[in-house]
Amino acid sequence: MTATAVPALRVVGDDEVEGSAPPRSKRVQIVDGALRCIARQGVKKTTVEEIARESSMSRATLYRVFPGGRDEVLQAVVDTELARFFSNVAVALGTAATLEDVIVAGIHRAGSLLLDSGALAALIDEDAWSVLRHAMLDDLDHTISVASAFAEPFFGRFLEPDGARRGAELVVRVVLSYLIDPDEAVDIRDEESVRTFVRAFVLPGVEALRTDDGDER
Amino acid sequence: MASREATRQAIVEAGYACLARYGAERMSVEDVAQAAGISRATMYRYFPGGRDELLLEVVRYEYHQFFLRLYDAVKDCETLEEVIERGLLVGHRAIEEHEVLQMMLRVEPAALESALLVESAPTRAQVADFLLVYLERHELADGVDPRAAASYLARLVLSYMQAPGQWDLSNPDEVARLVRSELLAGIVPPASLTVRQI
Repeated sequence: MTATAVPALRVVGDDEVEGSAPPRSKRVQIVDGALRCIARQGVKKTTVEEIARESSMSRATLYRVFPGGRDEVLQAVVDTELARFFSNVAVALGTAATLEDVIVAGIHRAGSLLLDSGALAALIDEDAWSVLRHAMLDDLDHTISVASAFAEPFFGRFLEPDGARRGAELVVRVVLSYLIDPDEAVDIRDEESVRTFVRAFVLPGVEALRTDDGDER
Repeated sequence: MASREATRQAIVEAGYACLARYGAERMSVEDVAQAAGISRATMYRYFPGGRDELLLEVVRYEYHQFFLRLYDAVKDCETLEEVIERGLLVGHRAIEEHEVLQMMLRVEPAALESALLVESAPTRAQVADFLLVYLERHELADGVDPRAAASYLARLVLSYMQAPGQWDLSNPDEVARLVRSELLAGIVPPASLTVRQI
């Protein structure tokens, strides 16, 4: 088990945008360079020197942009990849035409991205997945609440606020559970398999959250 | 002279007491040996891996105890909806009141987390097997496979017990709503559900 240098899973808040940040392009250059290093050789073997070389800049410049060095770069890579993940899922959810499609897209897209995303996985090396699982499970309540808040507006197109909130949370739980503990009967990488499962169990559950008053179909 | 099993048990219980008192970070082999009334050497004979191995054992033991108590609380329930409702209420309360278990579920170091993860698949399978009996007795919606339904229910019950999210699982009305919507709406015909019994 690697105890060191595992970037924490978090969502960047407004308070973390420094006023005196150097031009964004250098940050992007470094994060992209780090991603290439990680994809090639894994996290453990990626040093600050290599990231600097890959990003075509000196170590001194790298440290000016990321005073925290390697750990700070890795955290930026995690943040970038998470943002990419969420925007990818948002596109899938936003283009879904029905409540069923939102649920299917949420489970299928989020599940397959988390299972197969080279970068997110390579990011944390061989035990990538187990470490990511720890990060998510470390504070399950927090993970569920962040992910549900993200998904809720997409459910709000089809449900009243209460149903949307709870429905989004249900889908997040389903994704987490099937990621952590895969099931022979449901293949979350396969859209049709997910759809069959959603029709049988998840969609009726979410539909039943509608209250008698106020909810229109 | 105490049997090997009894000594082992005494060590695990002492380990639990120390874990509760000091937390995982500060609990030491010396403390546990002292609390169990044995020498450090004896302690290492039982747990060659020392502190880490003992911690895992304590976690496993407590995890097991938790499910035994849960089983005790629900084993007399008659219907599927009743067993899930009571399970959620009792499980939630037990976790809320059980400081060490809570610590283990929420904020423990990676070593403990991995112990819980290792246990997660077998636990799910056991909970599913338990629920399957109730599913087989209950009228099911058309085309529902009881095994698939049992797996879905087990996953969600465990998920809600570990992290209740937006649901107030100490409120029987909310629990009833949760069970009759998200958990059972696709599995049983609505008309077959009994009124809340807890």
